[in-house]
Amino acid sequence: MKKLLPSLWVWFALLCLPALAQDRTVTGKITSSDDGSPLPGVSVQIKGTTRGANSNSDGTYRLGNVPENARLVFSFIGFASQEIETGNRSTINVTLQVDATSLSEVVVVGYGTQSKKTITGAVSSVNGETIANKPVQSFDQALQGRAAGVNIITPNGVLNNAPVIRVRGVSSINGSSSPLIVIDGLPINSNDNVSAGGFTVNNPLGDINPSDIESLEILKDASATAIYGSRAAAGVILITTKKGKEGRVQVTYDGWVGVTKPFKLFKILDAQQYMDYKNLAARNAGLPDQFFPTLNADGSVVNTDWYDVIYRTGTAHNHNLGVNGGTKDTKYAFSVGYTDQEGMLKQNSFNRMTGRMNISHQLNKAIRLGANIALANSKNQAPNTGTTGAFSTGGLGRLPLVLAPNLAPRNPDGSYNINRAGNNMGLGKNLVGAGGYYNPLPDLELSRFTSENNHVLGNIFADFTLFKGLTFRTSYGMDNTTVEDIDFRNSVHGEGGTAGGQAFNIFTNIKQWNWQNYLTYDLQVGKNNFSVVGGNEVQKYTINRWGGARQGLSDPFFTSYQGNFTSNQPPSGNFQSQNGLISYFARLDYNFDQKYLLTFNFRRDGYSAYAAGRKYGNFPGGSIGWRVSEEDFWKNSLGKVVNEFKIRASLGRVGNAGISDFGSLSLFNSGLYGTVPTFFFAQAGNPSLRWESSTSTDIGIAFGLFGDRITGELTYYKKDVTDLVLPEPQAPSRGIPNNFILTNIGSMANTGIELALTSSNITKGKFNWTTSFNISTLKNEVTALANNNADILAQTGGLESSNIVRVNESIGSIYVIRTDGVNPANGRRIFINANNDRVQYDHSAPAASRWTYVDKDGNAPAISGTDRVVVGAAIPKWFGGLDNTFKYGNLELGVFLQFSGGNVIYNGTKAGLRDQRPWNNDIGVLNHWKQAGDVTDVPRPVLNDNISNGSANPISENVEKGDFLRGRNIMLAYTIKNDLLRKANLASIRVYAQVQNAFIITNYTGSDPEISTNRNSNTAPGVDRNSVPQARTFTAGLSLNF
Amino acid sequence: MFLKAALLSVCLLPVVTSCSEEELLEPKPLTSLADVEAFSNPDRVLAQVNGLYSSVKNGQFLGGRYFIYVDVRGEEFLNVSNNGVTALQTWNHTNNSGSNEPTNLWNQAYLAINRINLFLEGLDANPTVVDAALASQYKGEARFLRALTYLSMVQLYAQPYTKDNGASLGLPLRLKGEVGTGNNDLVRSSVADVYKQVLEDLNFAEQNLAATNTSAALNTTRAHKNTAIALKTRAYLAMGRYADVVTEAAKIVSATAPYRAATGVAHQLQASVSTVFTNYTTTESILSMPMSSNDLPGTQNGLASYYMPIVGIGDYSLNPNGIIGNAAFTATDARRTSFVKNDFTGDAGRIRLTKFPTGPQHTDYVPVIRYAEVLLNLAEAKARLAAGVDADALALLNAVRGRSAPTAVYATMASKTALVDAILLERRIELLGEGFRSNDLLRQNLPLPAKANIQAVTVAASVYIWPIPQGELNVNKLAVPNP
Repeated sequence: MKKLLPSLWVWFALLCLPALAQDRTVTGKITSSDDGSPLPGVSVQIKGTTRGANSNSDGTYRLGNVPENARLVFSFIGFASQEIETGNRSTINVTLQVDATSLSEVVVVGYGTQSKKTITGAVSSVNGETIANKPVQSFDQALQGRAAGVNIITPNGVLNNAPVIRVRGVSSINGSSSPLIVIDGLPINSNDNVSAGGFTVNNPLGDINPSDIESLEILKDASATAIYGSRAAAGVILITTKKGKEGRVQVTYDGWVGVTKPFKLFKILDAQQYMDYKNLAARNAGLPDQFFPTLNADGSVVNTDWYDVIYRTGTAHNHNLGVNGGTKDTKYAFSVGYTDQEGMLKQNSFNRMTGRMNISHQLNKAIRLGANIALANSKNQAPNTGTTGAFSTGGLGRLPLVLAPNLAPRNPDGSYNINRAGNNMGLGKNLVGAGGYYNPLPDLELSRFTSENNHVLGNIFADFTLFKGLTFRTSYGMDNTTVEDIDFRNSVHGEGGTAGGQAFNIFTNIKQWNWQNYLTYDLQVGKNNFSVVGGNEVQKYTINRWGGARQGLSDPFFTSYQGNFTSNQPPSGNFQSQNGLISYFARLDYNFDQKYLLTFNFRRDGYSAYAAGRKYGNFPGGSIGWRVSEEDFWKNSLGKVVNEFKIRASLGRVGNAGISDFGSLSLFNSGLYGTVPTFFFAQAGNPSLRWESSTSTDIGIAFGLFGDRITGELTYYKKDVTDLVLPEPQAPSRGIPNNFILTNIGSMANTGIELALTSSNITKGKFNWTTSFNISTLKNEVTALANNNADILAQTGGLESSNIVRVNESIGSIYVIRTDGVNPANGRRIFINANNDRVQYDHSAPAASRWTYVDKDGNAPAISGTDRVVVGAAIPKWFGGLDNTFKYGNLELGVFLQFSGGNVIYNGTKAGLRDQRPWNNDIGVLNHWKQAGDVTDVPRPVLNDNISNGSANPISENVEKGDFLRGRNIMLAYTIKNDLLRKANLASIRVYAQVQNAFIITNYTGSDPEISTNRNSNTAPGVDRNSVPQARTFTAGLSLNF
Repeated sequence: MFLKAALLSVCLLPVVTSCSEEELLEPKPLTSLADVEAFSNPDRVLAQVNGLYSSVKNGQFLGGRYFIYVDVRGEEFLNVSNNGVTALQTWNHTNNSGSNEPTNLWNQAYLAINRINLFLEGLDANPTVVDAALASQYKGEARFLRALTYLSMVQLYAQPYTKDNGASLGLPLRLKGEVGTGNNDLVRSSVADVYKQVLEDLNFAEQNLAATNTSAALNTTRAHKNTAIALKTRAYLAMGRYADVVTEAAKIVSATAPYRAATGVAHQLQASVSTVFTNYTTTESILSMPMSSNDLPGTQNGLASYYMPIVGIGDYSLNPNGIIGNAAFTATDARRTSFVKNDFTGDAGRIRLTKFPTGPQHTDYVPVIRYAEVLLNLAEAKARLAAGVDADALALLNAVRGRSAPTAVYATMASKTALVDAILLERRIELLGEGFRSNDLLRQNLPLPAKANIQAVTVAASVYIWPIPQGELNVNKLAVPNP
């Protein structure tokens, strides 16, 4: 009955109105101030009534029975509302002004939103458009350079290799330094270890279609992240997917095609150069010539470009179809996506199908229901690229650099050029070979390594408006992934060669559910504005993985695990684990008159991995702000120029779980003694383990100049990480398994300054130029380590140690033996040992006298690992991005530059490229020392010398500066909007072409200064060792709006 | 309505949460057992006993590498593969305190020691899980394994007892279970103290072990009384306490041929030596480490991996100038005709030991104590004790020798010295590849002989024994390195 009353009143009013005034019908057309295009779905309402209409697809509207002197309200999302008095007009055309500030007015934060103007925590926002339609596999790859304080490194050029994301630096040593990812309020599992076995990389974030993303927010300081408590030490990335909008149904199609190629490959010796140079090295070693031409059938000398065997021009295409619409009550956004990308490496591909359904429905005045559900199937395929083992003898990053160019991949009869007994490359006419390296061709043609995900990601929610201002939300989400890893190694040659073929199939089932319940209360009392959030969250994660292993392929006909093999092996990859999280959280936002601002966050987390009595931890964070620009004194003085000026500061503490699911327990494992079962003590737990703790302070200003034509933020931050969980060494005679016990013992600090600017530089007629720029600095310093601050040496590929974690140094600093060029007198590499003596090495001398002093007589002790010193920080000290967009009418040019530097890179690949074993070398070696007096950086070549150029021990000769400026993305686009299209029911067509990784300016001599051979390692960053180089991708695309 | 529902759900929240709190926050691992449950029933206790055996059986220790190391330190083998991870530094005497081989073996052996100590303490703390008799037997097995571990280690990492009656630095004697942090510092006990502990453990074991286990397999793979006694003969021989060797051996060796153990498991030589390496559980095999296709020694740990080409890596071939070049090792000796071959394809005619022939899965049992060794221990002790040529010693020697080389038995011996030398030569022939050679040299205070291009190692050289690993020295501030 209650509900009927108002509508009855309306009816009554309507019936009466004609008698009171002269009514008429008003029509008109609504266009955008941006480009004059018609705006469909604009709400037109008679002020003071509930009567209104929406504009049609051509922007026209028609509203009957409009009283004289009524006021019409035109409103549309993204545009400033307008009120127009009708007077006695019957035609009213309106141009709505694009409201830039209203779009960015709201910032998504944990469990809610905040006004951008009044937010006091450190949050960076990235619009979904900036990452859409880029030739990447996962959205995080496209975030590079987009947000201040967020450094993202693509480890190499293998598709869907998880990028290394660091929000305000490295936040752990033993645990993860990757941020928590939250999609539409649901924290997800973003660990790239979903895949097991094989050589394929598999980033589960690649299961998210970047085109579905509306916006990203990166929470950086403790005030913003504290509400995520124990998972927030490495920052939080909040993803908001596209939601339905009220109004006419909009259908969009986006598609692109592209080609991808290696960006830079080393110039290496061809067959003749190789034989000449290597034979010289052999003669220098006192040996006869070792390398001789193999002839092709036509009598020509075999001259193989191994790059051609491994690399290709990969093609890719990508399609997205979206449907977006809704009524006042029901809003929906559906999308389907398909991408099929070939890598520049043969047999490397990424294929993904996605579907997303976001829907919400206002059931009645008080209840809103909704769901955001995404399904994805993604398939990664990659051969052994060396990504999972830098020194792998089958790694495709390495093989073209070491294999002799005077050998062919195939024999003249078409068979593979292999040495079956040694399972390595055939020798041809050479007397010696490169060693255990494989001929890559059989693996590329006969083996198969894939990792395929089926991923369900979504949540359903209900909002209950209990009374005005008070809302209760319950939301249940799941993030379930099943992964099938297939690792089939052919029986002919390579990884499975000695075993006569091997197959490992591993199946992983990862389930995570999450249930959130919280209340939001907004209250305004005079000029006091309160917003309170409080609730709880429970989450459970389980992983079950099992697999089989078989070897001895019965016939090459079989190409899968299911085929016939002669022996079944012990199971492969078995793993079961789980963890649970129970949390309580609260936030209070308060501001007085939007001028004096205060936020307080609190979270209490209980986590299963800790021992009883230590499960819970408390994580508080708070911030204050003052919008000076709201003060009268400011408005009357500086306010003309600086229209917005906010000072903010925050302090808080968040945590990081640095231990595995059962890391606090003492455990017995089981096995066999012959054939009988066993139990044995296998893990000494530490019941007193607790969270790693990250205490942040943050001071900043936010400003807007000239009516927000220039906006920016400047922030100083300091992040003190303490209680780092580190293995505390135990005397091996104690017999503690692995000889360590995890202990909260380490600490480090990250400090830096961030600056972000956006500017609308020129708007003149049809020409428009906007810029956004960000730069950040980062200084990491390790301050305490286990065992009386004992150094931690980190390894690359389990073999080479060129990084160190040392107190008072940046984490994972480059740690190598100093070199001092090549002695012009004799062509020997000069090393500097720990005593600062210059010693030189001659591989052609008898073993006892190879090491001699440069500056005094006599034999010197051999250089060894103990002669290493720290030569520089491996993580960039500054980085950022510069994005310029130029528009002229419908033509748009975007140039996005990314830069980074201040770090050094250990270029281990160069050590390999100059190794004097029978490996191939880069053409730089031709500049080798030839006679007394030659000044060069390449020593006199001596066959089998693996010391002079840094293979045996890392040397400073191969350490280089990592500074670079990269043309990350250059795009040219043209948008067509006209009546002709409108008649075809097309609102707009946009065509574009772009190049990803267009150019780079750097002095780095390796393939690319943006590299991380050790991928996500906290302790061994900045190493370039046999990695596949980065790719350059050209794409052309088309976007249609219906 | 909705208001009530919503309020109700808000109110229910803490209830829901507390219900699931235990489930969420206290999950139990599904593939590992919490320590508190390790003694919860007799089956788990038994599984732990087997876990102690599997700990010493690890490929880094008695599952393979220990025997490899002890053998390749001597002169019987030549390195083929020049591979830095397969005993190369042990073979060429270049180990230092940071080297992997001494480090890995130390770590694994002490891991076994700690598991043994924890097990002994756990049995005492859980006295009702198995009955007292069985508990005693298990303790006997645990202490037997502790003795075996310390005895094996002290011969590698410390000067021989016979050098100075055990006055040299021995090992840190860890006799208590270790779980938490701390307690890192412990001095190295003297060699004498280590032997004292070994004997104490073995005496306890002899008292408490079963006379026999229930099957031939268990008699070979689990300790019983005679196992402890047999190991005592080895320990006393290493100490040069020959009278004690005789006393102990007498318990399991009859006075006259055919030699056999009168009580407990009826140990005796098999008619053919090759039987012992095909049928792994005869009464000659007093203790062996069992292998199965699901319990392998691990990559580059198996004996066959080291000695066999083709089915293994064949890192080591027999040194033509070693025992196989000695006239005492006759051409028709079954141990040569069965175990020494040089006709492998693509192997350049290298001479190979084929006692452990199985691969690529190296499932050969690893012999730890064989009855033949006990007979030779006894023979040597008797020979050394007697004033002249000991007839019993000669008979014992001939029992071992005559089995494989019936035409080459020694009718007489010219002197006591000749007899001892013949017994020592016989040990090299009989126990070739079973992990005796360098330990035998050390207990005689003899240098490690030269081989190929490797020079001999004098008894005064620092590499005469293995170094104490740096990992121990770094953390155990009371441990001192070997000089």
